[in-house]
Amino acid sequence: MQPFHTTPFLLAPLLPFVAGAVVTAATPAGAAAQEPERGLDVHIPYTHFTLENGLNVLVHEDRSLPVVSVNLWYHVGSANERPGRTGFAHLFEHVMFEGSANVPRGDFDSRLEAAGGYSNGSTTPDRTNYWENVPSNALELALWLEADRMGWLLETMDQRKLDIQREVVKNERRQRYENAPYGLASEAILAGLFPPEHPYHWPVIGSMDDLAAADLDDVMAFFRTWYAPNNATLSIAGAVSSGQVRRLVERWFGEIPAGPPVPPVGAPDPELAFTPRLVLEDDVRLPRLYLTWHSPPAYGQEDAVMDIVASVLAGGKSSRLHRRLVHEEEIAQDVTAWQQGQKLGGSFRIVATARPGVGLATLEAAIREEIDTLVRDGIRREEMERAVHDFETRLVRALESVGGFGGKADRLNEYHFFTGNPGFVRNDLARYHRADAAGVADLAGRLLQERHSVVLSVVPRGGAELAAAAGDR
Amino acid sequence: MSHALARTPRRAPASPREMSVTDRSSRRIGATPPCLSLIFLLFVTGCFRGLGGPGTGVWVESDDEGGSMTIGSPRTSAPPDRSRAPETGPVPSVRLPARTDFELDNGLRVILVRRARLPIVDIRIQLEGGATLQGPDRPGLAAYAADMLDEGTASRSALELADEVDRLGAILSTTASHDASTVRLTVLRPRLEPALELMADVVLNPAFAEADLERVRSERRTRVLQQLDQPGVQAGNALDAVLFGTAHPYGQPLLGTLESLEALRREDVLSLYAAQYRPSRATVIAVGDVTEEDLRPMLEARFGHWREGPLDDAPQPRPGPVEPGRAASTARAAAPALATAAVRGRTLYIVDRPGAAQSEIRVGRVAVDRRTDHYFALTVLNTVLGGSFTSRLNLVLREEKGYTYGAGSRFAMRKLPGPFVASSAVHTPVTDSAVVEFVREIERLADEPVPAEELERAKNYVALRLAEQFETTSDVADRMAEVVLHDLPDDFFNGYTAAVLAVTASDVQQAARAHLDAREMAIVIVGDRAAIEEPLRRLELGDVFVLESPSTTPER
Repeated sequence: MQPFHTTPFLLAPLLPFVAGAVVTAATPAGAAAQEPERGLDVHIPYTHFTLENGLNVLVHEDRSLPVVSVNLWYHVGSANERPGRTGFAHLFEHVMFEGSANVPRGDFDSRLEAAGGYSNGSTTPDRTNYWENVPSNALELALWLEADRMGWLLETMDQRKLDIQREVVKNERRQRYENAPYGLASEAILAGLFPPEHPYHWPVIGSMDDLAAADLDDVMAFFRTWYAPNNATLSIAGAVSSGQVRRLVERWFGEIPAGPPVPPVGAPDPELAFTPRLVLEDDVRLPRLYLTWHSPPAYGQEDAVMDIVASVLAGGKSSRLHRRLVHEEEIAQDVTAWQQGQKLGGSFRIVATARPGVGLATLEAAIREEIDTLVRDGIRREEMERAVHDFETRLVRALESVGGFGGKADRLNEYHFFTGNPGFVRNDLARYHRADAAGVADLAGRLLQERHSVVLSVVPRGGAELAAAAGDR
Repeated sequence: MSHALARTPRRAPASPREMSVTDRSSRRIGATPPCLSLIFLLFVTGCFRGLGGPGTGVWVESDDEGGSMTIGSPRTSAPPDRSRAPETGPVPSVRLPARTDFELDNGLRVILVRRARLPIVDIRIQLEGGATLQGPDRPGLAAYAADMLDEGTASRSALELADEVDRLGAILSTTASHDASTVRLTVLRPRLEPALELMADVVLNPAFAEADLERVRSERRTRVLQQLDQPGVQAGNALDAVLFGTAHPYGQPLLGTLESLEALRREDVLSLYAAQYRPSRATVIAVGDVTEEDLRPMLEARFGHWREGPLDDAPQPRPGPVEPGRAASTARAAAPALATAAVRGRTLYIVDRPGAAQSEIRVGRVAVDRRTDHYFALTVLNTVLGGSFTSRLNLVLREEKGYTYGAGSRFAMRKLPGPFVASSAVHTPVTDSAVVEFVREIERLADEPVPAEELERAKNYVALRLAEQFETTSDVADRMAEVVLHDLPDDFFNGYTAAVLAVTASDVQQAARAHLDAREMAIVIVGDRAAIEEPLRRLELGDVFVLESPSTTPER
């Protein structure tokens, strides 16, 4: 779309706590917790060892249930894709389930299910993860499956495997983007927020053209570049002992050779030089407004502070925007706000759906006004308390699960990947306890008032007059 | 809105029909450890060395935070034989949590499952009834009433309530389903008591003030409009309507319609509240870090005075008759042929969504209630058909043909016979081909026995995942809620694994013949009519009707 951006921007490696969480919802990690006066304390005890081939291994023992989760992160995502092949990291993730040298096509899932297990995988701009949740007696089965595709995926790779998953992924794109109301919003926002040469410019799902263009050579090259033990971390949580895990991991992964060092990711400065105003017509009955700003990367102190800003503005029915837009003025059907930290930077987003008959300019004005008020008058002690308590509850709930997306195994990997410290959960919570009201207002001012945002209006077809037109920012 | 793309659609929280526990070879299955058969009500310690009993703190950790980092590890023996999968050892035993039942002085039933490993408590109050109590002419009433509970009480405004709840970091929700309404509270243990105070206020003293009723009515009507944008929701609603008819609570959207919501009066809400929100219909289910000793007085103080109110003019459950096709008849203007159409047999219904990239397909029929004798056979059957990744529908439609991102099926087993639904969203040009596959796969279940290996896999998948069904406090509360709602035996889950593993191919085939006659199916497709109608007609699978979408214009 339009040009934006100017200055070069701090690359991730310069920041101590750069990290990119995967959004909201469940996050999980750890373990024991008590609540002293000052607030909750949590941790996930773990052991950490590294094989000679560079594979990092994290083990957390939790014998509450006779289950174990094997969770493997490859440090590659859509940000590592090359132009013309957007969506490839995710397409490749699908291909990973198509079998390997010793696992015929279809066996990956059928063997797991026959053992009472199941698996899934996901891709973000920064990383790709895979997990298997199995009864604890099937730990070795899961390790065998993961090792075979880490070491010997290409031996049995063929065109059909790629072609089928290409069709599946195109249908995923149709289902979640093209045939879903407001489904194309995120793609438009990314394109407006990041310059074309920035690795967050395109969506993880990729474009239909690029998906169509991917070929077997891409599969081979991608695997050889990124899918090596030295670019992965294996996390195992559940009813296991670290000694047993170590023996089994060495057995199945030890002989996989290390790959060459992975290429670095460059990220030009994404700062916006003006406020792009985008309008998208869609098969929707109600217009929806999306305001998006650049914000800090994940897991630093400022990431937590922006999470608190999101809570004060739109976390729960008593939040400022919900109270005003939804409850009192009844001009919005819903309003949400969230901080999404990622490896190379974050974004802060506010989304509000208009009630019938309400234009998005009205919503934008009200939202900007509330931001101004927050920055000018600061936030109340109760609002801070609410945000911290909310985070505590979400964290403890997340700690209840060992496996799956956001379970403890996944969380150890997440902290390790983004902060270099698998035991970061304690620091994570401390960030919220440490935040103070003045700092919250100050950062909100610097990020939301003084910087440009991308303003996207999604309107019913033929309803361009409902869009938020150019204002004074 | 995560940027993470999952490989498979994330299913809704595993339904009770998708549970599981133990091992990969069904031969070993006979050797289920004795502990599996422990009585649910009792906690048998000896079986689980190292796990401890309630209150001993199961959070066993071997290492402190940030354990050692070791580079390199001794290469031991020769490389392993990778050509064969490693053997799985004996299936681990599953410890089901201990449950305590007690009653308050007024007779209010309480079920407590104590879990001290994290300082969190999940409390829910389940009120039998739900949409089945609202009467055939008041779609949406039960959910509207539930929604109103936390929109103001005798002593707190809606915003005051929200503010207090949020400050405690509590999660309080009020919802209605077809068979029950539920108020749920999740809160960290140190803040349990004040949160419980708010929960009690919401359950016992809702104000149902006119101004709040209007505000929420407007919000809910807008939500109906929003649902019209979602092809999957539209498909589900249309299927319910054609299967049950719009006079049956299972045929009506839980949310209601624009018209029904407009018509609901405060008296309707009061009357439903009087009938449903009473101690004799309520069960308190508490799971988490709280003892009976602590919980009982907290509940007694807040719910002990809850009395049965008069029932004179309160409605009793009166679901309308199941009238398949009644919804279709309301679309007569759009499809004149419907006036004489038989709705028995196999019938296709198209809801037009011009230009849609995909067709949302739903294939269904009225099936069974939760207490069916075929529960386990149908659970296994559904796993074979559409309950797991390797189930037939997903393998054919996704992994073989590439038509879709995912396909599946489920039996919604409720108080009354609920729907069986198989579903997928497929690329528009292959809509007819996909429908053929659905029908073929459903027919095959009745026509041929499931091969041994496939049956075994499905049974293990269901049986061996039982442990996970009790992982979180919310999981455990869900299981308890199911036992209570459907009046299942207290030891239901003790016999679960054995019952699943006992299902035979013949059981599955008989269940398919009894409940999944492919000649008696409604097939709903929300998609681009111009592209799909003629191909669908040419299949000659059954009559094809076009359903008119509900009203589409937003109003202020």
